[in-house]
Amino acid sequence: MMLLNKLHRVTTGILVMALALLFGWVDSVSAQAERVWIPDGSYHSLFPETEGEPLQVHGFYLDETPVTNSQFLEFVQNHPEWQKERVPRLFAGNEYLRHWESGLEPGNETLSEENRPVTRVSWFAASSYCEASGGRLPTMAEWEYAAISLDLESVQEWETLGYELIGWYSSVDAGDLREVGSDDRISRFGVRDLHGLVMEWVEDFRPPIADDISFDCGTAGRLQSDETSFSYARVIRTLTRMSYTPQTSIGILGFRCAYDGDRAKAGDQLKDLSER
Amino acid sequence: MKNVKLYIATLMGLLTGLFALSASAQTAEYELDGMIFGMPEAEVYTEDYDGPPVVGETITLLPNLAPLTYEGNKHHEIRLDTFVQEIEVANGVRYRAWTFGGTVPGPVIHVREGDKITFTMKNRSDQEVSIVPPVDGQAASPFLQQVNENPYMKPSAAVMPMPHSMDFHSGTVAKNDKWRTISPGQTIQFDWVANYPGTYIYHCGTPSVLMHTAMGQHGVVVVSPKEGFETDEKVDHEYVIVQSEYYLMRGQGDLYQYDFEAAQNKRPSHVTFNGHANILHQQPLTANAGDRVRLHVSNNGPSLTSSFHVIGAIFDKVFYEGHPFNETRGMQTVLLGASNSATVEFIVPEEGDYILIDHEFADAEKGATGTLKAGPKQ
Repeated sequence: MMLLNKLHRVTTGILVMALALLFGWVDSVSAQAERVWIPDGSYHSLFPETEGEPLQVHGFYLDETPVTNSQFLEFVQNHPEWQKERVPRLFAGNEYLRHWESGLEPGNETLSEENRPVTRVSWFAASSYCEASGGRLPTMAEWEYAAISLDLESVQEWETLGYELIGWYSSVDAGDLREVGSDDRISRFGVRDLHGLVMEWVEDFRPPIADDISFDCGTAGRLQSDETSFSYARVIRTLTRMSYTPQTSIGILGFRCAYDGDRAKAGDQLKDLSER
Repeated sequence: MKNVKLYIATLMGLLTGLFALSASAQTAEYELDGMIFGMPEAEVYTEDYDGPPVVGETITLLPNLAPLTYEGNKHHEIRLDTFVQEIEVANGVRYRAWTFGGTVPGPVIHVREGDKITFTMKNRSDQEVSIVPPVDGQAASPFLQQVNENPYMKPSAAVMPMPHSMDFHSGTVAKNDKWRTISPGQTIQFDWVANYPGTYIYHCGTPSVLMHTAMGQHGVVVVSPKEGFETDEKVDHEYVIVQSEYYLMRGQGDLYQYDFEAAQNKRPSHVTFNGHANILHQQPLTANAGDRVRLHVSNNGPSLTSSFHVIGAIFDKVFYEGHPFNETRGMQTVLLGASNSATVEFIVPEEGDYILIDHEFADAEKGATGTLKAGPKQ
């Protein structure tokens, strides 16, 4: 299974690169993360509006790991308007890239080492990065669908993961994040670091329904989709994400990009090329 | 192209904001039964503020209560920032707490019935905020001076950015406006009027509220009655005692961390007075034989009850919830649910030790005890 996953990732990477070259999708970011294909599927959202109705998700590509400091450095080199000295306050909070020494120097502090996920980036900056990479931020549905597609075998395993995640939300040290890819837990589709590394931006982090949900002492329990602690952890993640503003730039919030695509068509393209 | 998109997105954001502003119904200020209701809409904004995190003349460190030196009513400007602090809650037990003002429980706010409070809070959870020496601006509140002289939780700054909010039980307002959640870097400001006398808890109201309060985000406001208590002249010592639970397990390294399973099942690792399992033995309350002692006791939970008793004393008077009309006499134990309080008074009979205790002994053995040391009769 692991081998298949790996093979899957490698092929996906080649396909995407080939396509990117073909259509000139890649603007200027060359240090690409591996992209993983997330097939069509459905899942149950936590929101009351969709209670009982599974939410459909169409296939898409998702970065295997969150964007790192070194990848983001390359982006701000090519897009100086996103360097911290230049970015307008309207697009990024005061704390935007605070831990970087300067606009072009992440610095050597633990936090900024190149393979650690970039954090303290606003929604605007993350969106712009993804656009420059030929993609976009994943939607909340896409991200959640990818994140909960785990091959766990028993309720107990979901419980254990839930406790672990709630422990992470209440003890994460923003000054000492792990490197990307260092998580052993890989989702069904080969995505890494979805749990317990950083919170991640999604395109619609505060959907309209947020205004109808009462934030009070009973909310966490009320939104739980089942009795497991994993579901409770999902509620915490969702409500926490909904409290952000597009300018929010904080030490445990990073992102990864998603890309539209059609895996079957991409395969055909490559085949056509080789036959030519 | 990209910039155009951004501008459109921003414009839409601004328009939505304007719409939200115009759509919200705001009740104008009015008076009813001598009380004031209808506060202006809360303001949420960003500011560069990195000054003293606790600002106000009548804000103190537990178990102290600031004297109210003004006559009649006053308009208080109070700041209580929220940020992360690694603290000690029992000997050898430290965890990174979510706090108001840097301690658990947070500072004691003292006002008078009828006072208006303009409250400001910045969410500084993504910022290292120090409350121990060297700290600039100690003069901003008695709390900062007291915690610098007596940092009994041995606090040190930490960073764990999370959304937070403030819910004052002493305020009567619409919670979806005033108690709203702000993300790290944001500041909220709102008004409330202390319409009812009593000792009221305040806590973070952001879901999971169980997690936020168990992580340390709670404290008390003491609202002294306008006409005072009939015993005011006779009271020799006045202290504030807050009972609360911790749900901790060993985490990485030497630190402890929140135990969700224990919290859900109401199995605390520690139950404490004033946030630390040993503090009221290491630093006992003091009085003399023959003194009348007044305690404002609050059970901040989050989930258990307290059967508050003082070994060797009988409560001469109990003002349930701290309201002068709720008077009961001759009580051995006061039962307090989560977020209940009582103002109790007792006469210290003779020189010696008196033990403050939650008479639910499982909780007492988890830390809910303290000492009052009485000197000779004066």
